[in-house]
Amino acid sequence: MSWTLGIDVGGTFTDLCAHNPDEGRTCYHKRPSTPHNPSQAILAGIMELCEKFGLDPMAFDRIAHGTTVATNALIENKGGRVSLIVTKGFRDLLEIGRQVRPEIYDLQKDFPMPLVPRERRFEVTERITRGGRIVTPLGAEEIARVVTEVAASKPDAVAVCLLFSHLDPSHEQALGAALKAAMPGVPVSLSSEVRPEFREYERLSTTVLNACLQPVLDAYLESLETGVRDLAGETPLGINQSSGGLITAARAREFPIRTALSGPAAGVAGAVHELKAAGEPAAISLDIGGTSSDVALIWEYQTRTVNERWVEGYPVRMPSVDIDAIGAGGGSIAWVDSDGLLKVGPQSAGAFPGPACYDRGGDLPTVSDANVILGRLSSRGLLAGDMPMRRDLAEAVVTDLAEKIGLSHIWTALGIIDIAVVNMVRGIRAISVEKGYDPRNLTLIAYGGAGPLHASAVARALSIPRVVVPPHPGILCAQGLIVADQLEHFVRPLHCALDASLPDRLMPAWAVLSAEADGWFTSQEVRTEGRVIRARLDMRYAGQNFEIPVAFDPEAPFDLGALRDAFSEAHRQTYGFDNKTAEIEVTSVQLAASGRHNAAARFGMLEAGEGGVPDPFERRDVWFDRSGAVDTPVYDRTGFQAGQEIAGPAIIEQLDTTTVLFPGDHARVTEDASLIIEIDQ
Amino acid sequence: MTAPDYITSPVFADASELDAVTLEIILSGLRSVADETYIALMKSAFSTNIKERNDHSTALIDPKGRMISLCERSQPIHLSSMLGLTGALLRKYPLDAFRPGDVFISNDPYVADGSHLPDVNFSMPVFVDGKLLCFMCNIAHHADIGGMAPGSMSGGMTEIYQEGLRIPPVRLLTDYRVNEDIFDLVLLNARVPEERRGDYNAQIAACRLGERRIHELAERHGISALEQAFEQILARTYTRMTDAISQIPPGRYVFEDVMDDDGFGAMNIPIRLAVTVGDPAHEGRIQCDFEGSNPMVRGNINVPFRALQSSVVYAMRALLDPNIPSNQGMLDAIEIEAPEGSMLRAAFPAAVAGRANTCQRVIDVVLGALAPALPDKAVGAANGANTMVVFSGRDPETGKDYVYLETVGGGFGGRAAKDGKDGVQVHLINTSNLPVEAIETEYPLLVESYEFVENSGGAGMYRGGLGLRRTIRPVGHTAVFTGQGERFLNAPWGVFGGAEGGKGGFFLDSDAGRQPMDTKPGLTGVSPEQAVTVETAGAGGYGAPEQRDALAIEGDRTSGKYTADYLRAHYPQVKEA
Repeated sequence: MSWTLGIDVGGTFTDLCAHNPDEGRTCYHKRPSTPHNPSQAILAGIMELCEKFGLDPMAFDRIAHGTTVATNALIENKGGRVSLIVTKGFRDLLEIGRQVRPEIYDLQKDFPMPLVPRERRFEVTERITRGGRIVTPLGAEEIARVVTEVAASKPDAVAVCLLFSHLDPSHEQALGAALKAAMPGVPVSLSSEVRPEFREYERLSTTVLNACLQPVLDAYLESLETGVRDLAGETPLGINQSSGGLITAARAREFPIRTALSGPAAGVAGAVHELKAAGEPAAISLDIGGTSSDVALIWEYQTRTVNERWVEGYPVRMPSVDIDAIGAGGGSIAWVDSDGLLKVGPQSAGAFPGPACYDRGGDLPTVSDANVILGRLSSRGLLAGDMPMRRDLAEAVVTDLAEKIGLSHIWTALGIIDIAVVNMVRGIRAISVEKGYDPRNLTLIAYGGAGPLHASAVARALSIPRVVVPPHPGILCAQGLIVADQLEHFVRPLHCALDASLPDRLMPAWAVLSAEADGWFTSQEVRTEGRVIRARLDMRYAGQNFEIPVAFDPEAPFDLGALRDAFSEAHRQTYGFDNKTAEIEVTSVQLAASGRHNAAARFGMLEAGEGGVPDPFERRDVWFDRSGAVDTPVYDRTGFQAGQEIAGPAIIEQLDTTTVLFPGDHARVTEDASLIIEIDQ
Repeated sequence: MTAPDYITSPVFADASELDAVTLEIILSGLRSVADETYIALMKSAFSTNIKERNDHSTALIDPKGRMISLCERSQPIHLSSMLGLTGALLRKYPLDAFRPGDVFISNDPYVADGSHLPDVNFSMPVFVDGKLLCFMCNIAHHADIGGMAPGSMSGGMTEIYQEGLRIPPVRLLTDYRVNEDIFDLVLLNARVPEERRGDYNAQIAACRLGERRIHELAERHGISALEQAFEQILARTYTRMTDAISQIPPGRYVFEDVMDDDGFGAMNIPIRLAVTVGDPAHEGRIQCDFEGSNPMVRGNINVPFRALQSSVVYAMRALLDPNIPSNQGMLDAIEIEAPEGSMLRAAFPAAVAGRANTCQRVIDVVLGALAPALPDKAVGAANGANTMVVFSGRDPETGKDYVYLETVGGGFGGRAAKDGKDGVQVHLINTSNLPVEAIETEYPLLVESYEFVENSGGAGMYRGGLGLRRTIRPVGHTAVFTGQGERFLNAPWGVFGGAEGGKGGFFLDSDAGRQPMDTKPGLTGVSPEQAVTVETAGAGGYGAPEQRDALAIEGDRTSGKYTADYLRAHYPQVKEA
């Protein structure tokens, strides 16, 4: 084994993390992104990293990449020109969607127009209904007719979504073959391949997005792969998908929609790894960035998977790590509402112009400005010191706000932070009710540039007893890519009752899934010992519309009672009750295959020191509440030794973040260089 | 009418006033309670109607019966009926009759101020240190509450008794324990009792979660701070609303529209409104007077007062301040009058199940009245209906009886700076459609089309939205169809010169051709050789068609949403081809 390289491309920064388990070495590098052509920053970053640490680019065994290219293409409306084929009578389905408005009281607001305009939506005469029964066959002449029309519309990519194709894909496949024959080189997305799942609109929307992104990811990955090959030779390039595993670049080009939420998923993988080192199996991850915060639940070192997401106003049915975004971050703007109450966000100053204290022309008070005023963020800026924080500018904008609500600028700054924290807490609580867990039983792991700054306050408000701050909170996504599993889901619909007849249906479906998984492991060069297979059944009470996944062991003898009990338990966990007598339906069976790499990686090993308390490098006045400023020691985290302890109040600075300990908090440095903070309740 | 007491005589002196930060933090906590109970109800309910269509709402109401915090995701039409139940409780019982662990249930429009029978309200008094602090309330639309027809929403009935089980305010729980006698009674009177049981349990669970959350809030902030916050939130919202109202030029604005019919022969039923702004006697509040509207009708489109209030409040919020919280402060700034016994203030025993159609029209009327005063915010008349399609029968494959009910959206009116949205639920209604694959999997029906109705959005500088067409055919059996249509006879009007939109209709299709049906067809057998097509109304345009941008007209043509004939007939700038 030699080096693995993780590359996370965000809107502002491109982060790189290289790890060699044999040498126990980890190297980090951060550089500005190049949004117009993200691969430029990546290739430059690889060279800079190698130069900085004396590495040979040819020594990388694997490169793992998290990308926002797909998401950005959607935000900037730069996807390909797509033509669409649908079942006759349903040309408008893409535009009708679920026939709802995004905000009920807003007469002006609409969901975005579909990515395929009506004139490029083509109907084909064919029909399949319940049970996969063909009502109207799809004839050869009809195929020829529609393919000719589609070709004449000159698309960059074609999407095909027919009713009930998740039960019988034959019509879509026939169209797919004809389209490829007639338009070589034009990618075709079939809904039965992109996501063979019940509910036509969501499947359609997902398929259209996939088609729209195909030309974009094609071009991007082409240039990236070429560049990487020139630089690092034939190193396998894995792309992180939204569900938190790595897929090959070829697969990402086929199913680009799977990468739409690539970056945050890598962060959670990094968080899980740090939690393992810290011995904390159950946690909430809190990644606070400039405009928003990402929150995920981790249970027994596992994240949950969610099957539906909204991406830029369009629904996407695709497994992704269950991460929720809350509209509160360091750049969130504070303002006074028309009823005189102080509000924070959801508007954000973003990276440009950014908070007033950045001195880039921002003239609105933000959470970061409040942090500078309160002394929690140093006016020197982060430790590298290349971007000082202008406290005077922060005070000027916060003082303006303070006058509107009749409080001092200090109390207003405290109010801004408190309200930002309350917004995060409200978001986390709503999510916890939705997912059925109690935050009080969990640990908080905080990362992102502003996570450790607010973690203690968030934990206190949620009655969370403990916070983990990983060694490099600002680069956790790139680090997460190093440990990301190669992952794939395979699914077969079942639609049957949970009774003694289930094995007759389940076993053939499982055999198909297993064969698919074996093929995939082989194609991904996953070694036998790294192959992990998990099985689950999606079940619900007859009449319900949401399924709950229940794990089962396909090797064990079929045990109806155990499955019923497991479902009841899961239902009780999720919804707070169960119904022992109700009929249970099994809607589908899923196989999750993962290939493990670097499972034992340790990133931040510290020399064991003699314990005790590190020496602060300065002291400054910090406000924690309205009772007054507290003379607070400030520490440089780079000098910490394992076993050292710090009592709050304290400020701990490092290159990529600042950690705040409130009075009464108590932090300990682990040998993996994490901080574990016990919160004073 | 005078200003509310939290304005004229604040309970708390200035000295104890909470600052803008503390108040926001408490308010956030209160919103959190409403949001969390909403999610809990959604996640634990059994029926599609709640889980998938989210036809439910949650709120926190104080012991004076005032709305303090309403979950933002609530259905607007549910707003007032939660107040209705709590108000009825406060009239029925002295405050010391409430006990921790009581949970009340009701649905009746006449004795419990509900809005129609399928909407079942729950209310739970919450005590802190032995003191009644508030009521945790929720409401859910149940897929059936008994009565003559499955779904409890059908037309063809003339009094409330036919529409389902009437539940007065009664304790479903005492001391946190379900009163099984009442539960059995309620369950026996609805179809699919197991689904009802699941949904009621979800409503109870939501109340109890709310109680826990309130206790936590009280522990953090103290009961006195919470009570102060209630007063101040209402006062601030009231002032915010009267400020918003003051943007309307003072004057009296009148408008009138008609409902097509009630299914019992009453035709072109008028709704009349006079809105008054700037009357000094009313100190900044707005008055909506529906004097002159039609008396109650035999059909089920009558509106209980609480549903009228919900509709007017929706329209005012959408026009004046879409982000204002819907609490009592906002409600108190809107004065509503309607003659007792009129269609808009129905009296016992009027049938009300189809009130949503009328409520939708009330909103069009309010928007129409204020259009001249607020031209930037005005919109053309929308679909303005709650077009309902019901199929029932026995599934030939499973042998089980089924009822499929759905409401179909239509056009949204043209706006001051953009076209109206095509094919969408409008105003009060924002419930999802059922996926075609769900319909066909659950019911022996084939959905043959689901598409826009061409030419149905009225021409204008900004055109109205298109209506929807859906064609459904029974498979292997003869199904029974009933429906309720509105704006099938009277087209949605445009504003500032915009043209009217297309009307809707029900049609019976067969080899013999397409036959129009009634606007509110009664039980009609439909064989597999036949299909029912519903077309909903489009919407009115905004501004004169002459001013429509040439590129936009070109888009209307290339998209195929309009025919060349329509464009030539409505846009003088379109030259003969």
